Parts: sequence; structure tokens; C-alpha cells
Amino acid sequence: MHGWCGKIIRVDLSRGRITYEPLDPQVARSYIGGRGLGIYYLRREVDPACDALGPQNKIIMATGPLTGTAAPTGARYVVTTKSPLTGAITCSNSGGNFPAELKKSGHDAVIFEGGSARPVYLWIDGERAELRPADHLWGKTTHQTDDALRSETHAKAKTAVIGPAGENRVLFAAIMNDRDRAAGRAGVGAVMGAKNLKAVAVRGQGEVALADPAAFKAVNTKYREAFKIKTQDTPPALRTHGTAITVVGTQSHGVFPTRNFQQGTFEGWESIYGETLTQKYLVRAKPCFSCPIACGRVTRIPDGPYQGEGEGPEYETVYALGSDCGVDDLAALTKANYECNELGLDTISMGSTIACAMELFEKGHLKESEVGMPIRWGDGDALVRLTRMTARREGFGGLLAAGSLRLATRCGHPELAMVAKGLDFAGYDPRGEQGMGLAYATSPIGGSHMRGDPAYFELLGVPVAADPHTWKDKPPLVAKWQDLFCVIDAAGLCVFFSVRYLVEQDLMVKPVGITELLNAATGAGYTPEELELIGERIFNAERLYLQAEGFTRKDDSLPPRITREPMPVGPAQGMVCRLEEMLAPYYALRGWDPEGRPSDAKLKQLGLR
Amino acid sequence: MKISVQTFANLRDYAPAGAGKFKLDLADEATVADLLAALRIPAAVEAVLLVNGRRAHPGTRLNSGDEVTLFPPMEGG
Repeated sequence: MHGWCGKIIRVDLSRGRITYEPLDPQVARSYIGGRGLGIYYLRREVDPACDALGPQNKIIMATGPLTGTAAPTGARYVVTTKSPLTGAITCSNSGGNFPAELKKSGHDAVIFEGGSARPVYLWIDGERAELRPADHLWGKTTHQTDDALRSETHAKAKTAVIGPAGENRVLFAAIMNDRDRAAGRAGVGAVMGAKNLKAVAVRGQGEVALADPAAFKAVNTKYREAFKIKTQDTPPALRTHGTAITVVGTQSHGVFPTRNFQQGTFEGWESIYGETLTQKYLVRAKPCFSCPIACGRVTRIPDGPYQGEGEGPEYETVYALGSDCGVDDLAALTKANYECNELGLDTISMGSTIACAMELFEKGHLKESEVGMPIRWGDGDALVRLTRMTARREGFGGLLAAGSLRLATRCGHPELAMVAKGLDFAGYDPRGEQGMGLAYATSPIGGSHMRGDPAYFELLGVPVAADPHTWKDKPPLVAKWQDLFCVIDAAGLCVFFSVRYLVEQDLMVKPVGITELLNAATGAGYTPEELELIGERIFNAERLYLQAEGFTRKDDSLPPRITREPMPVGPAQGMVCRLEEMLAPYYALRGWDPEGRPSDAKLKQLGLR
Repeated sequence: MKISVQTFANLRDYAPAGAGKFKLDLADEATVADLLAALRIPAAVEAVLLVNGRRAHPGTRLNSGDEVTLFPPMEGG
């Protein structure tokens, strides 16, 4: 095979046994890789009714055909498992260097099953993989673990690890690769912790075999040149200021979530957005493997109570640990970000859960005696302390570790959790961004922006601008973008480059460039239309799994704050998210019945029956 | 008439003395295109245009006291 390695590692943690199996070429063609392979194996092998933290659950770490190649942003892998936070599927995506290294070791994917009696880690040294004891690593932070693994395996090994949060089964614990990149959403780190799997370290020195190296080089050069030409006139803001520059897009539209989504404008936004980060704390931009954009931030807080060094914050972190908690102290939220990275926590759910706790506290639903301290809006010290307490489940941290929905439910106010399907929203208030509301509600993993991100066309002008306030035009756009993101996540690419350079630059985003790259790499002879069909197949397969887990139409929902409480101030003042008006047409155009179930005809068309 | 303008990232380069936020005097009935011309922003430089937090286009008519926001298209957050 070309593009694909054609080989998968299966790790039975209960028996300590490693086997290697071929990747079925027909499955590879039909699901591409990454997120596609994830749902393919999850549906075949994991009982939807299983305990997410039990041995029946599996973790599928999968690369795509373009991961580890010279394709722009060919850096990604996807972790698929059943989420302990939501009970739904989760497929969390990350870049950095670990995914490319895994691919270069000659493997498309690793499947972990069962559970180990003792802490272990997987060491993949090229073609050979082995399980090693990890008792000495248990309790270590992600950075300490990365240091230790590289000293005992290979200095150039790349790692994906959990920190204390994953070990302690915090329900939104992340898997951190390359120290500071996160497969963050919905508790993938807790599943690793429950399996006593501390880490994966990999050394891969091979090259990904390409079907047509000359054609691949030509296509790759074409799109890299297009990037260079475009950025001559408009330097990528993400390279100059990181993703935190996106605050400009959300604040100016009045959808920058503030104090647990009580409003969409934050008075302290200028203190925490990307340009301020650049001026105050940026050390350098840091690209992932094969990325021309370089949005990663290496930062340093030189002095003061939050002194430290690390990576971040990204936009989503600035929202979650910043405006959503009313925190305008960039040093405090950056420090909390460092803590999340080292302890292995999803910054979005951490911030959103603290924001929920702060609102419960401010409204008297949570007493100071239960928390152990006052937690007022804007309290940066509390932010940092609560982050540490959550990872170690100390005191009130034990309640935060269960996530915002369980916390709010325990306090008698589940409506104050800003979630869809139990997963905390990203940094966009759907009242002023209607398409995002539909995307949150119908995302297979819950409140994520990365399952077809309407912010691109609703807020950020990519590839072209659409009105964020209209809803009648959104169902077909959201469906189209959801399917596109399935393709990007399956190919092993990053969304950031793909949506501007590898798709046709109109709202229908036909994946022309992705097709060219995939064909040169794999020789599969895809058409853009076939890729669109595969995207739809992946999305529907995830939907089927959700259904089997017991999710129904009522779970395609948003909190009443979003659908019934008009936005109080700002450019979106007076608006609510018109989810109900969007859902029925969305189901119909997807070929789903009024209850949101894919029809037999649709499943037959997609080869899922 | 006076218009409030805020520019970000590379579009700051077209603001007076690099200020992010400033006021601009424009003729009555001026449009967003007139504002872009006054700031000497070349057509090749892409910008997302907002007037009072609502999406605008070069033909959008401006009114005294309007707040205009300009930022480059972004690859994501």
C-alpha cells in the first residue's frame, strides 16, 4: 500500500500481548484513516453500552494517509473511544510531531484493549513494539513523563502521555503529545488512566511510501506556493499572534462567551487577546510537523505570582479560562493553561466547569463551605488553584473532576451547564452565530466547534463570509462542513490549512486539493465527490454509534440560556439560537427521519447497511 | 462625519501611526469602500469588514458615529 502503511498494532493490555494485523485495503479506501478508521473499529469492536472506564472500552489512535508526509499540515492523528464524560463517542484530534513519528514507524494505527493490572507504557521502536512497566512514571506530570521516556527509550522519541488528571480519571482528562499538544476533548485521558496506560513513546525513522512521488511533490508545491502568494499580502494572523487573535472575531460579533455564556462581549478582552499575548509573553511561534502556518505559541511569564514557561494559550483557552470565568488577567489564565498541560486536562472543559461553578457560587447554589473558598468572577488565583485541585481530585476539585453538567445537576441547576450532549461548548455563543448552534447540537461528540466549524464563514471570513445571524441558510452549510471535517480528520490534515487552501473557496468547500494530495499519496483515484461521500459515511457511522448508545433527538439540544434567553448586550443583542427551526430541515437534507435517525436508503447509499 | 475605526493584526499597518483604534473624518454618505481608500488598504489585502458588529461590504453606507472593525480572514481558533 502507499500512503497507508497497511499495518496496525493491537495491544491487549489485560494479557500484555501485542499483535500486528494488516489494514484491510478496502476499509482504508472507504474510511481513509484517522477519524474514519476510529469509527470503523469502534463500531465493530466496542459495545456501545459498555462502561467507558471499563476494560470493554478501547482506544483507537489512528493516523491518516497524509500524516507524516510532506503535505502541508500532515501532522494529525485522532483518538477515538467511548467518552466517560458524555457516554457518547469521542474522537479527539491532535497535531505536533508524535502522529507523524507513529506513521513513520510503519503503523497506521494502534488499538488498545482490555486493561493492565499495573501501570505500563507502550514503546514502539520502528517495526517493534513492547509494553514496559510504568510504575515509576505514575504520578508524574506530562512534562516529567516525556523527559523520563526520552531518557529511557530514545532521545528523539515522541510521546503521547497522560498526567495525574488522566490517572485520577478526571472525566475531561486529555492525552498530551509532544508535551503541550492535546487530544483534549471528552476524557480520552481518563480512558487511558482507567486502563493503567501511562504513555506511548515512538521512534519512527521510515518514510511514508507514496504512490506517485513526482505527482505528490508537484501537488504539494502547488499548494505551498498558493499559501506563500496569499500570505505575501496578508501574513497569517495565526502565525503572528496565535489562535488567540480569534478573540477579535468573536468579541467584535458579540459572541465571545463571557461569565458562563451570560453575555457575548467581555469588557476585558483587550487584556487577554492575541496581540497582547504577543507583546507580553510570546517567546516564539512553534509549528507542528510539516506546517507552514506555525500557530503554536511558546510563551513565558517572566515574573510575578504566575511565573512560568510553556505553550499557549490558544483561543479556546483564552475563552474558557479567561472571559468565560470573567478573568482578564492574561498571566493567571496562561498559568492555568500551563497547569492544564502539565497535569493533562482539557482547557476547554476545565474553564467551562470552573465558569459553571462560579455562576453557581455567585447565585448561591453552591456554598463557600462546599468549595472551601470564595470563587468570584474574575478570580485568577482561584482559577489556578481549582485547576490543580481538579487534576488531583482534592476537596472541591473532586466535584469539578466530574465536569460541568454533573456539578450543575448536583446543585439542582443542570441548565447552567453550557454543554451539548454533556460536552462543554467551545468559545462561540450560538445566539449570535446560528450555524454554530446547529453544529454544537448535532456534533457526534457534543459541544465541539471542530466537527464542522461554522465560525469560519460566520465570523472569520473563510473561505467567504456568510451572515452569522441568519438560520434558514445554515442547515445545508453545516451538513456540508461537518462532512468536510470528517475528510480532513481522516486524511491526517489540519483544518486550519485545509479550509483556506485545499478546498474550493466558496461555501460548498469541495475538497479538490485534498483529493489531489490523497491520490498522489495513495494512488486510490478518489474524486472530490467520493471524498464527500466518505465524509458523509463517517458522520453517519458516528451517528449510528450515538444511536446505539441511546442518544435520541432530544439530545440534539442546547441549554435554555442559548435557545430562550435573548443575548442581553452587544451586536447580537436580543437574539436566541433558532435551533428548532434548523433541526427539521437539517435532518431532512441529511436523509434522516424526524427523530434524527438515518434512513435505510441513506445507509444503503453510504454502504452502512 | 466622524467614524470610529479599529484595525487588527496586519491591518494595523494602515492605521495612523500604527494605532489600533482611531477616529476618521469622512464625507457624509461615505461608504466602507471610501474608508478603505482613505486608509490606503490595497485591494489585494483581504479584510473582514464589520460596522457596529454587523457584517458589511465595500458598498455599505456609513453613518456618523459608526464603529468599523477590520481584521484579516483567520484560519481558525
